[in-house]
Amino acid sequence: MTAPSSPPTTWPTKPRPRVSILIGAILAIAFTVYSARQVDMRFSTFADVWTNPLWEKFWPIPWEWVFDRRNVINPLIETFQIAIISTVIGCSIALPVSFAMSRLTTPNSVTYYSSRVVMNIVRAIPDLFWAKLLVTAVGVGAFAGSWALSIFSLAVMVKLFSEDIDGADPRPLEAAKAAGGRHIPSVATGVFPTVFPAYVSYSLYVFELNIRASLVLGLVGAGGVGRVIEAQRQFFRFGRILGILVIIFVVVVVLEQVSVAVRKRLV
Amino acid sequence: MAVSQPTPVETRPGRPLGPRIWRWVIAVVILVAAAWSVTGLNVSVDRLLNASGDAWNVIKRMWPPAFSIEIKRGVIGKVLQSIYIAWVGTVIGAILSLPLSFLAAGNVSPRLIRLPIRQVFNAIRSVPELIVAVILIAVTGLGPWAGALAIGLHSIGTLGKLSSEAIENIDAGPIEAVDAAGGRWISAMRWAVLPQVLPVVVSYWLFRFEINVRASAVLGLIGAGGIGSELVSQLNFRNFPEVGAVLFVTIVAVITIDLLSSALRRAIIQGGAGPDQSRSGEALEDLTGMSLA
Repeated sequence: MTAPSSPPTTWPTKPRPRVSILIGAILAIAFTVYSARQVDMRFSTFADVWTNPLWEKFWPIPWEWVFDRRNVINPLIETFQIAIISTVIGCSIALPVSFAMSRLTTPNSVTYYSSRVVMNIVRAIPDLFWAKLLVTAVGVGAFAGSWALSIFSLAVMVKLFSEDIDGADPRPLEAAKAAGGRHIPSVATGVFPTVFPAYVSYSLYVFELNIRASLVLGLVGAGGVGRVIEAQRQFFRFGRILGILVIIFVVVVVLEQVSVAVRKRLV
Repeated sequence: MAVSQPTPVETRPGRPLGPRIWRWVIAVVILVAAAWSVTGLNVSVDRLLNASGDAWNVIKRMWPPAFSIEIKRGVIGKVLQSIYIAWVGTVIGAILSLPLSFLAAGNVSPRLIRLPIRQVFNAIRSVPELIVAVILIAVTGLGPWAGALAIGLHSIGTLGKLSSEAIENIDAGPIEAVDAAGGRWISAMRWAVLPQVLPVVVSYWLFRFEINVRASAVLGLIGAGGIGSELVSQLNFRNFPEVGAVLFVTIVAVITIDLLSSALRRAIIQGGAGPDQSRSGEALEDLTGMSLA
């Protein structure tokens, strides 16, 4: 009896890296090095930053100042008000615009393309650019901020929701049209009920987004708690800023939990 | 055996009352909240009516945009600087978040290491990058490097969360294979996990870059350099034609980068990419830090 001959061991050859990936990686590294020079990157920051005497100003946190109603709580309430009103305005306007922007439900191609172009341009301008522009146009304060956030949440909402409408089942709409329905009633009965839950859940997201955005609006003069941070940083009162940060942190975390709970009930 | 069916009684079910009541309650709550918010904005009817006219005036005065003046002032260089800041920030976030995301993933990391790292991610994400920048600018001095650091720090939180979730969704088979062959943990990560998640993770990096371009433009508003600082200086002098040119350049840059990046992302995840719908879901998840599910 002969021992079974062991099969010759053949190693699979190591696959060569794809040329496109190689070129991509080299380009990415080159661009990184170039950008790092352009932004004056210096590693010494990581060493120096710890010994900076300014850190001492972060401690102690003056809690009695932070919890004084006029200092932080009132601006924080203003922040919530900005977020609420801009969510309500932005999301209400977004409802008809989204239907105009979806291939499925748009009344004609002119509305489709014009709304799409306008919304893409609106979305390409960052939210705080809007805030800064509106502060210049209508004056410093929460009014400019809520206007800016209304515009921005309209743009975000429309993008999200119109894509949902695109994905909706077209058959109820066809049925309504085939039965002789006019355009708007057909959309209202054939498409709207299927996408309404998505609309509600996106609105909640937009609200959360607006809360986060409205926290920093004040840095450009558009109202809310950011105004306090801006004022305090000019006098290097970092202890106070840290106190505000703690409160913002708590607000964001609580909001996240509430929002998760609400959405679980809804969806 | 045929049982004679009782003739059905012609009764229509009434519309359920519960949902209708709820609908009204919610509508009223929203209306009350909106009304309360308006009272807090300190707007007189007068100002409300004039505002749209004022805004329209500003838009009208931006036309025609003063491109030649702005190009002489180096607007192209400034928009490029914003892009450099965003890129460096993204790279910092990517490099630091990748190892951390392995340690934060539930399937490959023990509970004791995973939970604190996740808390760090959450803490970072909950502080807006603009506020991080305010503090960093105070400590490191004005300039683009502070902006890049702020963006990088914030990106660690968001990228870490998204990447660790990608790791949690992988196929466990290759990890078992490495274990069975006697491989160490680090080998399992390198040969079983990394190849599975790398395309997804790189597409997250690119996606984050798109968001960071907007963020770095905004950081200029508070003194971190780039296109935002140009916008502020022109707005403060009310040079509206120049403002129009700055806005135009910003729009072109942002849209170009969005298009390039999304084309690249689609090329990286061939076939695996979901419809656009899930991408905007990701966008929201990234911005709000909450999952759509």
